[in-house]
Amino acid sequence: MNEIIEKLLEAVEFGKIDQKSPYPPQLRGMDGSHELTQQALAAGVDPQRILEDALIPAMGNVGKKFAENKIFVPQMLMSAKAMGASMVQLKPFFASGAIKSKGTFIIGTVKGDLHDIGKNLVAMMVEGGGWTIVDLGVDVGSERFIEALKSNPGAVVGLSALLTTTMVNMGDIVAGIKACDPATKVLIGGAPVNADFCRSIGADFYAPDPQNAVEYLNKLAS
Amino acid sequence: MKQHNIRLHPLGKELVVNDQTPLIDLLHEFGVEFPCGGRGTCGKCQVSLLKGKITVSEIHRRKLDHLHLPSNVRLACMSLCTESITLQVEQYDHLILADETNFEFMPERGFGVAVDLGTTTLVTQLVELNSARILAVETMLNPQVKYGADLISRIQAGLDGHSTEMTLLIRSAVGNMIRLMMEGAKQIPDKVILVGNTVMQMIFSGCDLTPLSCYPFQLENPGTKTFTASELDWDFPDGTKIEFYPSIGSFVGSDILAGIAATGLHRKEQYTALIDLGTNGEIVLGNRDHIICASTAAGPAFEGANLSMGMRAVTGAISSLRHDGKTIQSSVIGNTKPRGICGSALIDAAAILLEMGLIGDFGEIQSGENSILIDDPVRLTQKDIYEFLLAKAAIATGVTILAKNLGIETSGISEIYIAGGFGNYINLKHLLSTGMVETTGDKIHKMGNTALIGAKMFLFGKGELADEILGKTSHINLEAFPDFQDIYISKMILG
Ligand code: B12
Ligand code: FES
Repeated sequence: MNEIIEKLLEAVEFGKIDQKSPYPPQLRGMDGSHELTQQALAAGVDPQRILEDALIPAMGNVGKKFAENKIFVPQMLMSAKAMGASMVQLKPFFASGAIKSKGTFIIGTVKGDLHDIGKNLVAMMVEGGGWTIVDLGVDVGSERFIEALKSNPGAVVGLSALLTTTMVNMGDIVAGIKACDPATKVLIGGAPVNADFCRSIGADFYAPDPQNAVEYLNKLAS
Repeated sequence: MKQHNIRLHPLGKELVVNDQTPLIDLLHEFGVEFPCGGRGTCGKCQVSLLKGKITVSEIHRRKLDHLHLPSNVRLACMSLCTESITLQVEQYDHLILADETNFEFMPERGFGVAVDLGTTTLVTQLVELNSARILAVETMLNPQVKYGADLISRIQAGLDGHSTEMTLLIRSAVGNMIRLMMEGAKQIPDKVILVGNTVMQMIFSGCDLTPLSCYPFQLENPGTKTFTASELDWDFPDGTKIEFYPSIGSFVGSDILAGIAATGLHRKEQYTALIDLGTNGEIVLGNRDHIICASTAAGPAFEGANLSMGMRAVTGAISSLRHDGKTIQSSVIGNTKPRGICGSALIDAAAILLEMGLIGDFGEIQSGENSILIDDPVRLTQKDIYEFLLAKAAIATGVTILAKNLGIETSGISEIYIAGGFGNYINLKHLLSTGMVETTGDKIHKMGNTALIGAKMFLFGKGELADEILGKTSHINLEAFPDFQDIYISKMILG
């Protein structure tokens, strides 16, 4: 059983989605996370273990390597996809309560902006950190964030913006959220954003990359 | 009011200015660049203080510390004149691409002026319409560069209340260039045709920039804007017809309309592409039946911005690189000591470093260090390579999506024209080996300043050429394409 978990960890860390996918070359022909998760569940491995002993540490390694410039966006995406192939099979266990997530993370690209690649990567990495994701998509104003917070009380919010002209909308959204519930934590990111800006709009945290976001969230959860 | 003397070394210029004048207002004229528009994030507007004092605010101090600069260096964008000072500024020569390409035309009477109103550079040519002979040329930096290098920073400046100022600046700059040409050639133009991207068109015309600042990025009226000389405060007869040509859609402007004319893409039977390797990264694909275009927002890497030691193609910039398997040789513009690297050499670097095995397919530096020495003191960092990959992937994705849109493969494009500010420096072989453009060497050509060539072609006739092209051309929103992310990320791999 441990062997399946170890293999799954490796498959996710190196981005092996399923048996027929050619990437990465060193795992060619081997089972991917899709098959390995099936096998693990069939063998009766506790789904919580699959998440905690394979997916979370695998994505943790990916996040760290990305932050250290040891791997790059294409590799991170492959790992996230491999994680996704496992995660879909775990979904029912989240729903039934057999797996407990660390919390809910609501994320969206702010009003006026349609750039979503960075936001999607962050969402995937946070999901791989054991959080439930509510992805509101792009061009999202404060009303929709507030609505999502009402259905997910206690969730943490993440905002993404890639344009200097739309990052100012983050200020309104943070103000809107804090007016409804001052305790809600808001974390922001995106290429033009920085820590000074974060402070100036009253957001709680700026993360330059997904790893920093996951670490911050984990601190909140613990 | 108190006044101070500012001496600029080594230019030998001396200016008298009022107390509290921001240095940004003075220095852009002398070639100091302000890529981030004075937000203090790029650190490219450095000047050295040789004599006198500039008071450093707390935020200025933080930026200086962050950039690890010597104690006499200041960021010009955050400095005010409060006493007489001597500054050392790097002297820039501007390499601006004018053009002498021949084209077909129907002789007409009179004279015309073609204006390529670029985000960074301005070029005007006075043309004799019965011979298409160029009587005079003027080039200069766009005076708006003090508000930032890219379009979004100009839009931001407009939203921050500088739009009238930018409109007046650009009108008077172009007016002066035309006046200088008229004086030189002793002729008065009968028509003036301007082309430029959508933002430049809106600023020149004094239109509201808000619609271009956020989604859906659509203008109410991107059509031709017509002016009289007196409206623009230009000092010549009101009979002269002055037109800023129409934008195609969203961020794709009349410079690209002119580019299509220059390549003759609209008359070709086979699918032909035009790629503009600039910040906007416009791509056009089509033939005589149907043309589509998009802007890929490649970012300013090709213009040298956003790179740790990047610069435009001016004196001191490494413009191209070669290697003999062991060492890298560089050519520097102006044959001086290298100060930085420009877009064409960035493309060379990616291709060569990959070939030499110094970086891997993901752009990772193999030695495990954080940068690679190109030509002392110029280095390329891991982040610089990432910036290149972001831009390269944007172009490659744009071409792929436009081709998919027409139901063809990239390999089905029979000719590809490359336009962009780096002119002749670009090495097409290297461009291909980075995977930015997926085609073979015989199908790809460099074409220089296609906007200016097209603007000159528009001087002939009554706008039929532009109408013909506009009638066939439509703009595509790349963000609407569902596979964008997967294609984009796969194109971030080199080769
Ligand atoms: C791809 C791209 C596009 C695609 C977007 C496709 C998509 N589905 O997202 C297309 C072609 C559609 C596009 C369009 C436009 N773009 Co664009 N685009 C880019 C480009 C090339 C790369 C952006 C990207 O995806 N990077 C890769 C990802 C992984 O990085 P990232 O987003 O920064 O995310 C990382 C971090 O920032 C962080 N992060 C991101 N979000 C969050 C959120 C949280 C909570 C956290 C913690 C972290 C975090 O984590 C990520 C991973 O490390 C950049 C240029 C460049 N060189 O960067 C321009 C760029 C962002 N675009 C720009 C512009 C101007 C536009 C347009 C407005 C105009 C145009 N020229 O077409 C349009 C309008 C789009 C719209 N409707 O909103 C400008 C912005 C300039 C500025 N000063 O604001 C840029 C910088 C290019 C430029 N200089 O001109 N663009
Ligand atoms: S730091 Fe001064 S213009 Fe960017």
